Amino acid sequence: MTSRSLIAALASAALVVSPATAPAQSGGGSLPMPPPPSGAKATPGAASKPAQGAPAAASGAKPAQGTPATAKPGEAGAPATGTEGTAATAPATDKKPEAAAEAPPPVPQKVDPGVFDQALKDYFDGKPRAAAGPLYAWLQAAPKTDDNYAWAQYFLARSLIDLGLTHAGASYLARIARERSNPNVIPRALDTLKDLTDRPHDDVMIDEQVFGALDLGFLPEETGAYAHYQQGLVDLRVGNERWANTHFAKLSETTAEASHAKFALLVTRLKQVKEPSDELIADFLGLSKDEKLTREARNEAALAVARLRYERQDYTGALEAYNLVKLPELDPGRASLYLEEAWTRYKLGEPRASLGILTTLDAPSFRDEFLPDKYLLRALIYRDLCHYLPAKRAAKELTRRFADSLEAVRNRDDLTQDIRLRRAANSHGGTQRASRFVETLDLEGERLGRYAGSFGDRLFTHLTKLYDLSRAEAVRVYDARLAEAVRQEADTLLRAAEQVRLMEYEVGLKLYERVKKGAKLVAPEDEQLLTPDSVAFRFDGEYWNDELKSYRVSIESRCIEETP
Amino acid sequence: MRYALLILLFLAPGLARAQAEALENPGAVSAIQERQYRMNHELYLGVGVLPADAFYKGLTGSVSYTYHFSDTFAWQVGRGTYSYNIQTSLRRQLERDFDVAPTASAFEDQVQWMVGSDLVWSPLYGKTAVLNSSVLHFEAFLLGGGTVVKIDRQDGFRPAINLGLGVRMFSGKTLSFRLDVTNNVVFAGASRIINVPVVQLGTAFNFGATE
Repeated sequence: MTSRSLIAALASAALVVSPATAPAQSGGGSLPMPPPPSGAKATPGAASKPAQGAPAAASGAKPAQGTPATAKPGEAGAPATGTEGTAATAPATDKKPEAAAEAPPPVPQKVDPGVFDQALKDYFDGKPRAAAGPLYAWLQAAPKTDDNYAWAQYFLARSLIDLGLTHAGASYLARIARERSNPNVIPRALDTLKDLTDRPHDDVMIDEQVFGALDLGFLPEETGAYAHYQQGLVDLRVGNERWANTHFAKLSETTAEASHAKFALLVTRLKQVKEPSDELIADFLGLSKDEKLTREARNEAALAVARLRYERQDYTGALEAYNLVKLPELDPGRASLYLEEAWTRYKLGEPRASLGILTTLDAPSFRDEFLPDKYLLRALIYRDLCHYLPAKRAAKELTRRFADSLEAVRNRDDLTQDIRLRRAANSHGGTQRASRFVETLDLEGERLGRYAGSFGDRLFTHLTKLYDLSRAEAVRVYDARLAEAVRQEADTLLRAAEQVRLMEYEVGLKLYERVKKGAKLVAPEDEQLLTPDSVAFRFDGEYWNDELKSYRVSIESRCIEETP
Repeated sequence: MRYALLILLFLAPGLARAQAEALENPGAVSAIQERQYRMNHELYLGVGVLPADAFYKGLTGSVSYTYHFSDTFAWQVGRGTYSYNIQTSLRRQLERDFDVAPTASAFEDQVQWMVGSDLVWSPLYGKTAVLNSSVLHFEAFLLGGGTVVKIDRQDGFRPAINLGLGVRMFSGKTLSFRLDVTNNVVFAGASRIINVPVVQLGTAFNFGATE
């Protein structure tokens, strides 16, 4: 492990910072809601509290006799998201959206005001599929000033989310948050949006354009806390720590957001200092034990501590910090974590334990991981124990395994087409998030096809266009991130390959070194592998997840004493 | 001499291959883990059957206390078993159709209760995958000791030797489940022995084990 560990620490910490989770639900139960139509059943997940002073029933409201003729579907029904906006400028790869754009907009049809009531009834009866089409039709016909307009958007969004079309639902919720036409709907829309941030989502549309730009005065406490946290993050990203602190200061100490904010601040400070202070490490250590954080976030904090201690050559302390990482039972864990621990143990003078961890990295769970350092470390250990042939073999293994990738780098090929580098780039950071979002859009796009019949032409066409545009933008973002990420992975590979070549040369010299007459083998170390409290399961090639952290190698040193 | 050379000739490639393998992949890998489950003071409650006697079947309830000296060696300090006996149809038929007296010697061999003490040796400790989604730890043990058996006759105390084996499935640090299959060799008379096999399933509570 080199100084890039620090960068890795920052990168992985940033992982936690940007897709912050929102575990808490706001207590929006008392918020006003449109009354469910008589005879409707309350569905789980559906907001079911009847409204106090809720929007007028649609039959009472007048959805404008004259307006439908002037209302444009694009304005009324289609949420003009930031994603769409940018996607429109991006080169369209698909012919369909172009054709749809060129076609004249369908003439809005008059919709019976009772449609809203009926759609709401369908929704509360647990029939989101039946509710979605009529709600969209009603939205197209109704004026934006209608009391129920925002409610219709909200229930259309909920229906779409219930049907597994989360991105489409999120786009309507984002629209409610931006338009703010009905203050009673906004907290519910934000709560639902907050829940959606746990899944792959459009972070520009939700995190930046909604939570990052909200007027925070009117929000309920918990939603407000999340918004403060997001806005603080936006400020941190542009380098304005003072503004970020203003937002973070408003977070209650007992909230998870406060802990997340502290983590984000520490990561930012870490970027700014050359030599991390003891206090900074202690703060990370404190976060690694903070029960308000998710387990993943606590683990990230523990990893940051371990990496910082490693950089300061406090290997024992680093090992203690690695032990703070808690995994669910039988979870194989993360390959990078094992590799870092292996380096730490190697530096601590525990080559056998280090070699054992490298055995773990050969497990099927990690077979596709991109870990060029693994071969280098194995070669180093064998070399230190004077097993020169295995050392040479381990070193050669890197160039053999990554031959295609190295060839691609040398030939200056398009690295995004290299399977290994691409997989490595996709496995972490922003590229992973972008990749997952593209996958989600693909999945939901396919799912949308199933609802073609029940949604009606207008909603179906609109959603198809929405997904096409969003996908085009998501792919553009993904490609941009991928190009940068594969370059970094290629750098890592090249560095490891270079060190391996040096190692091969060194080992080659050692192999043919003359052994002096009377030379003796170095006395074997007393290594107590098995204590009375331990049990040993001999490894015969079958990996058990509960053993992945426990492999140890019994191997003798073949080194000879320098002076016979 | 010729045969010896021939044998050497056949063995040589195998030896060379083993040596090459050791050179290429030196060292032996083991998963070394802290023993997850350790017993100390064990209280056992179990139910079982005395299945062997043709004239009755016993339904048993047992209680025992075991002290574990180490992971492999323990002393079942005391155990007591009470048997609720059910006459078989064979016995009823004998009594009804053939007027066999209920005091016949074979009828009086039925066990009423027994107490005893055993030494336990657990050489096997392992784990198994359950539906490829969880890991179950177990140990297997042998036990042997002495028993005093009360059989259904006046002055019916008889000495016995108890031998058996069992398996323990660990559910947690304090709870495990035991299946015991033992046989009591009862010295019923001067030259007469009877075998009383017992199959028992029970729950063992473990106290004072180190974490």
